[in-house]
Amino acid sequence: MNELPAAELPFIDPTAGGNRPAIMLAARPMDLAGKVIAMIDNTKEQGALILETMAQALRERYGVSKVIIRRKEHYSKPATDQLIDELAQEAQLAVAAVGG
Amino acid sequence: MIDEFEFFLDKPWSDGLPVVTPTEARLATMLAATRRYPDEPIGRIPPAMEPVTVRIAAIHALMAGCRPEYLPVVLGALPLMLREEFNLNGVQGTMHGVAPLMIVNGPYAAHIGINGGNGCFGPGFRANATIGRAIRLMLLNLGGGMAGIASATIFATPMRYTACVTENRGRSPWESLAVSKGYADDDDVLTCAMVESPRLHFDDVSQAPERLLTGIADGMTALGSWNMHARSDMVVAMGPQHATICERAGMSRADVHRWLVERAGRTVGDLKRGGNWRRERALQFPIAVDPDDDACFIPTLKDPIDLQLIVAGGWGPCTAICHGWSGGSRAVHGHYDAEA
Repeated sequence: MNELPAAELPFIDPTAGGNRPAIMLAARPMDLAGKVIAMIDNTKEQGALILETMAQALRERYGVSKVIIRRKEHYSKPATDQLIDELAQEAQLAVAAVGG
Repeated sequence: MIDEFEFFLDKPWSDGLPVVTPTEARLATMLAATRRYPDEPIGRIPPAMEPVTVRIAAIHALMAGCRPEYLPVVLGALPLMLREEFNLNGVQGTMHGVAPLMIVNGPYAAHIGINGGNGCFGPGFRANATIGRAIRLMLLNLGGGMAGIASATIFATPMRYTACVTENRGRSPWESLAVSKGYADDDDVLTCAMVESPRLHFDDVSQAPERLLTGIADGMTALGSWNMHARSDMVVAMGPQHATICERAGMSRADVHRWLVERAGRTVGDLKRGGNWRRERALQFPIAVDPDDDACFIPTLKDPIDLQLIVAGGWGPCTAICHGWSGGSRAVHGHYDAEA
């Protein structure tokens, strides 16, 4: 019963319209060998410890060439565009950690 | 034939309760309550960042059940809640369960019937129920702050249905919160603070402030409260009976505020017994403490401006204490335009 176009409904769509294009997920690589991986430390306690442990395992077991770890300003705030752009320049994958 | 109640619940475009169906005729009535241009942008609601305009706010206000005259409060609240220091984005995503409590001061709050007396945190009062609900519907529909989607909240809180009160000006012995912040008594002022549900502190024994405030301070210092372990906001709504005990003993509102800021807290040794104590957290406090000294006193309020002390509720021996969030949200205050 929800198939009518919004313009034909007898009431108003309360959202802003929802016309933004959907963002497609990036293709997932099948192999990590030689890849550069970015990790974002969200500043919560022990988040860095988890990331460093993962970084070591990724290098040793999967042949990852390099791991870049960066720290956000605060866990409750998004990473800045500048930080995301910087990581996107160099890395093929990213991992965001939640510590605590 | 579409059943509009089921339609809005299915989308989902509600908080789980039926909404008033937004039709063009109802929207026109709602928009007649403001002189503002319907397409005037107000901001974007994080984290989905869908835009909110006067028109979209009015749609949500009518869905929530607001009377048109409540709209100026809804429109006044949005820019305050979108201030960076309020950190709505963080609260929308957090595991915690705080909600933006609106404390609406000024003559317009009384004019439209916001309740600050008996049962002010509970059901039965249309302005309280629907103004806060209008905000919540926008946080859900435009911000995407739904549990399990953009929100990692563990429990949430009943305050996420609505969280809107005023002070009990008729029975308060003191000036309002807004006046304490430097506003005039006849200014229409809104304060928003990110807090948990109220925890009731009963005391029908104390007849002197020292004993009364000692008990209230104890309610401000639970081991599992983030107020003890990070800089967090707090709202203390003193029942008028408790406030009057202090006033009759010669204490001003500022005196009680100072007493609670200075005396509510625990020692490091006490905090180590349970809850969220971590040495590295204490080192992040904006005040100097020695986490290695078990006798060191840790105040609940790390900055006096984080305590919003109001007088609300009906007559009786009770005060309500709302603890805060750990993630860095500062209470916001500002005028709202009743004529807008």
